[in-house]
Amino acid sequence: MEKTIYIRMRNRVLAKPEEIIYLDDIAQIIAPETIITMLKKLKVHQISIHDRNIVIIDVMKVIKLISTLIENADVQTIGPAQTIVEVILKKKQMSLPFFILIWFLLFFGSAMAIMNFHDDVSMRSVQEKLYKIITGVEDSKPWIFQIPYSVGLGLGMILFFNHVFQKRINEEPSPLEVEMFNYQMDLDNYVIIHENKESMKRTNDD
Amino acid sequence: MTIKVLAVMFIGLAGGLAVGSGFVAFLTVLGIIPRLTQLTKTMKMIRHYEWAVVLGALTGIAGSLRDPVLGISPYFMVPLGLTGGVFVGMLAAGLTEALNVFPVLAKRLGIDGKIIILIMAIVLGKIAGSIFQWVYFVHH
Repeated sequence: MEKTIYIRMRNRVLAKPEEIIYLDDIAQIIAPETIITMLKKLKVHQISIHDRNIVIIDVMKVIKLISTLIENADVQTIGPAQTIVEVILKKKQMSLPFFILIWFLLFFGSAMAIMNFHDDVSMRSVQEKLYKIITGVEDSKPWIFQIPYSVGLGLGMILFFNHVFQKRINEEPSPLEVEMFNYQMDLDNYVIIHENKESMKRTNDD
Repeated sequence: MTIKVLAVMFIGLAGGLAVGSGFVAFLTVLGIIPRLTQLTKTMKMIRHYEWAVVLGALTGIAGSLRDPVLGISPYFMVPLGLTGGVFVGMLAAGLTEALNVFPVLAKRLGIDGKIIILIMAIVLGKIAGSIFQWVYFVHH
């Protein structure tokens, strides 16, 4: 009888503390109908306090569990070799004063940073010279140039992060979204290797 | 004499080569031109954008090494300032992106949804800082 089971582990799964994780939660399964319900209800992991907030479930563990359940099972794995289970210990609550503090930190920080940058590159003398080149008049306060420049500065940042055109051109993700995704992937990769190593160390110590 | 002239020319060329390639490398790392083509869907025109950057740099050189006087109306400074500002703003945005500032901040603070407000803090801070500098700071 053909008993090929195809398994594709999911990338990230969120779970509650003390939750029991079944195979159906962490993987997509294709199997003969006679065993698929049994497989879906296969208990893979019970989250406990010792797990802290991240559990890595390796596909090897899943294969081992399946082969104890079904003899001569032919398990084919596709895709990622592990699932990251993130345990949500507490709903993160953002405190408003904290957020306002960060907002003003960024506001005054970037204001000072841009002033230092202008001073560093001698922006003032360049602008005065440019004003003289174009108008032929010497002016120590070329505000007609400097104020549009200042507004453009902010506009350029918004343009780069794509908030003006967000509604019109929505197919592509903004660089920030890509950057957030890449950062998450880097974190995931670290966790996959690091957490696995941790569990290896622990078994050796025992 | 000829050798001196040739040596100076060679050194000038070498210096220009280093600065020019550095400028282009900087632009490439920050990814401003790809970003603009992506926003406007003009990938095919990228050659012309390259030339725009090169010609702009050459015009800047001509303006800063010589002392031309054009005598155009001061209102011409408005679009010039605006476009110049947009360019510098995109440089700044590209730099913060290259340094991973926002993803790290959002992760640390747990505020994935409100990241736009944080960007606005930086944007408004830049505008306010810049206007403050030109209108008040440099004259006192």
